[in-house]
Amino acid sequence: MTRRRRERELQEEVEAHLRMAIRDRMEQGQSREEANYAALAEFGNKGLVQEVTRDMWGWASLERLLQDFRYGARMLRKNLGFTVVVVLTLALGIGANTAIYSVIQAALTPLAIPEAGRVVMVWTENAKRNWHQFPASVPDYADWKASGVFSSLGAMTDGGFNLRLADRTDRINGLKVTPEFFTALAVQPHIGRLFLTQEAQPGHSAVAILSDALWRSSFAANPSIIGSSVVLDGVPHTIVGVLPKTFPQIGQEEIYAPLVFNADAAGSRGERFFQVVGRLRDGVSLAAAEQRVTELEHRLSTQYTEDAGQSVALQPIEDASVQDARALLVILFGAVGFVLLIACANIANLLLARGTARQKEMALRVALGAGRWRICRQLLTESVLLALLGGVVAIFPSLAAIRFITSFHLDELRNRDLIALNSGVLVFNLVLSFATGILFGLAPAWQAWKTNVSGAMKEASRSVAGGGQQRLRGMFVVSEVALTLVLLVGAGLMLRSFAQMRSANPGYDSRNVLTVRVALSDQQYAMPEKQIAFFERVVREARSLPGVVSAAAVDDLPASDNLHGSGLFFPDRPEPRSEDVKVVLRDSVTSAYFATMHIPLIRGRYLNETDRQSSAQVAVIDEWTARQNWPGQEVVGKSLKLGTKQTARQIVGVVGDVDQGILVKLLKGQVGQVYLPATQAPMPAMTLVLRTAVDPTTLIPAMRSLVRSVDIDQPVFQVATMDATRATGRASQQLATSLLGSFAAVALLLAAIGIYGVIAYSVGQRTREFGIRMSLGARRLDVLRLVVRQGLLLAAIGIAVGLAGAFALTRLLSSLLYGVNATDPVTFAGVTGLLAAVAVAASFLPAWRATRVDPVIALRCD
Amino acid sequence: MATKERYKNRIELLQGTLDMLILKTLQWGPRHGYGIIQAIRSSSSDVLQVETGSLYPALHRLERQGWLSSEWKQTESNQRAKYYRLTAAGRKQLAAEHQRWTQLSSAIAGIMNPAGEPS
Repeated sequence: MTRRRRERELQEEVEAHLRMAIRDRMEQGQSREEANYAALAEFGNKGLVQEVTRDMWGWASLERLLQDFRYGARMLRKNLGFTVVVVLTLALGIGANTAIYSVIQAALTPLAIPEAGRVVMVWTENAKRNWHQFPASVPDYADWKASGVFSSLGAMTDGGFNLRLADRTDRINGLKVTPEFFTALAVQPHIGRLFLTQEAQPGHSAVAILSDALWRSSFAANPSIIGSSVVLDGVPHTIVGVLPKTFPQIGQEEIYAPLVFNADAAGSRGERFFQVVGRLRDGVSLAAAEQRVTELEHRLSTQYTEDAGQSVALQPIEDASVQDARALLVILFGAVGFVLLIACANIANLLLARGTARQKEMALRVALGAGRWRICRQLLTESVLLALLGGVVAIFPSLAAIRFITSFHLDELRNRDLIALNSGVLVFNLVLSFATGILFGLAPAWQAWKTNVSGAMKEASRSVAGGGQQRLRGMFVVSEVALTLVLLVGAGLMLRSFAQMRSANPGYDSRNVLTVRVALSDQQYAMPEKQIAFFERVVREARSLPGVVSAAAVDDLPASDNLHGSGLFFPDRPEPRSEDVKVVLRDSVTSAYFATMHIPLIRGRYLNETDRQSSAQVAVIDEWTARQNWPGQEVVGKSLKLGTKQTARQIVGVVGDVDQGILVKLLKGQVGQVYLPATQAPMPAMTLVLRTAVDPTTLIPAMRSLVRSVDIDQPVFQVATMDATRATGRASQQLATSLLGSFAAVALLLAAIGIYGVIAYSVGQRTREFGIRMSLGARRLDVLRLVVRQGLLLAAIGIAVGLAGAFALTRLLSSLLYGVNATDPVTFAGVTGLLAAVAVAASFLPAWRATRVDPVIALRCD
Repeated sequence: MATKERYKNRIELLQGTLDMLILKTLQWGPRHGYGIIQAIRSSSSDVLQVETGSLYPALHRLERQGWLSSEWKQTESNQRAKYYRLTAAGRKQLAAEHQRWTQLSSAIAGIMNPAGEPS
């Protein structure tokens, strides 16, 4: 019955009462006025009567809840130590979940693109060549555009720009995009305009669009920036627009310039450099579009040999923007969930132990007329109160964790700027806290439900718990151990894979090496001669810096994200079918590179100063390439070509294999490496490597000013020691490792406490038994063994369950692992040993206490 | 608010007894609030005058406790009024309270009129 209706009925009830009273009085002969007056006077204050009556209605349940809360709060205050331990445990568990949820919520927030479901990435696929989500060539792009499936189709390449500011030049991320890129994403500029069609033509492309972040950080969010000029790669560009803050950046792009196809690329189907994004034409479904471009691609693949075996895939952009982060998020959410479950099991155990102590109190309350249900509800209220307290305190660790996570600059994660403790996350925190309270509160509530009143009154005085309860507590410990094992295996695998990355001999000496990257702007350094001249000059000057032992330049530093691959061809062999072409990494290096990096020479000679543009075309290869392509033959003197149309090069030397870093390993496994003299294959972007006699970081300022003095427009970036470059790996791996590591540590601690708690409790219960045993001649060692065995048994069951779970779950990790199998036996064995050791240690303390039992006291005790 | 407190106190003081009286009054059939007051007054020979400020809260509380149920009916003089009726639980409660009352009153009587003392 609604409150309003009750209100009306009460009103009516009172009116009826008055009418009857008046009628009675009038029947007794009073006048209407007299009767009216007397009835009202007798009734009393109408409003007040109704008010007091209203108090009797439904608020009772709320009142009782408040009463439960007050009582619960009193109990928690009384056991302050207990409360603090539980609240802190919960704060860690709930805080971790809250933090990870803030990341997931951001990742699940739709991209700020109108009708994002109609926007797709268009990828080249080639099963034969093992290409998945491969970029497209200019002719591909033109063909797809003409297919009629897309209302607009944009192409883009990512890269960097050298942006000259008032006092310095910065290397910033950027995208070169065709004007259709913005139409496909249906973005409206915050101020100014987007690119015009003619700005994709050569000679008209000196315009730029800023991201909101760059506009704020480097241009003070000045709205009159539109129309002003900025020097980009040494060339003045006009800023025509600023994108809205909500524009979904793909990576960390900060500036956009028009993508102009040069005549060479426009004709070559083999040069695939462009990512393509399109908006489906109205009325064309994703499936229909996919079918039409697939048919088109099928025709093209039979028409052009370069496109043989090729197909095309459309991927909704929403999907594309989360796929890289999905594994990481699932793993982290799973891990924090486990930590919270472990915390719940622990707290449930604590509450059970306390519940036994409170049994007398409960029995008393039952005897005084409180129903079982009432007692259960009281206990649940207490648990929820604890959990809510934990949830409030959890705000602090979750803030810290959010700050920690956002410090990682995870490129894979979309909407990174939305990661925050916002209202949605707070609601999650509240709901989770409540659910957590109910979850761990079920155990003591169940215990109270089972309590037999008269039995408890007697039993409680002797503090003996039923066997069922002890079994329940054992079960909690088993599940805790199982969950902990899964977490430990996950963390162990990540750590092993990190160790693998670090300790494996990289094939060079990474100590005392400073690396500094310079990317020459292609407008200022269009001529290859100018490029090599720049780098030779910088290397020469760097060598004379005090503390520098030797210096060189390389275009793709090992273990970095920069890679250039080429097809490997042999002038003296028949040309292979295009899908059989082997891919090798090619690296342009200056002559001192091998000596600087301490890469050993195996045969022949290093590259040296005599290898000039005009001299014989030469190459140095690594051992692996030599073994793969010329097994058992003398390699020095043989020829190779990188690309069918390239000139043949003579191999002059073989050097040791170099670890190319995880990126290559993950994509391709081992790949051969071919080194070319930079003089013969100049590159506009190279990394300077300096071997130093001093701490390499002390040379950073000198290198910065050196490069600036050679050309002020060329900034240095990716400044790091070689050790650091090797160690970094991907940000997502680092994050997963550190978070999984800390979660596992917390879990291990909680599991240890859980085991300790249960064993200590059972030792307390069995004091009398131990007393008897020892008075009958059991030695201390026997008692010790008895107790430790109990702890180990629980741990063993938990470990068995956990191993099965870990086998099933760790394959989720495989995309983040390097050099370690997801079912790596070493990790599994190590973790099992660790957990068993912790179990022994945790049960040893109570066991030792059991041996201290004085038989006489034990027998007399209660 | 002070007046409200006073009402509440009176309810609490009278509660047990008033409840019993209400239940007892309804034992012989449903009545409305006005009728209950009249019944208690006449069967106590005008000694017990139940105040509306005590009666209605008590009725609503007893109904919530499940000892009474209510329905809207026509009175003999053709007025609409809310009638309260004793439920099975209410009957049981009445029996229990009656018993308690008997014990209590005989105990009090024992104190007030000790055996052997001439009354």
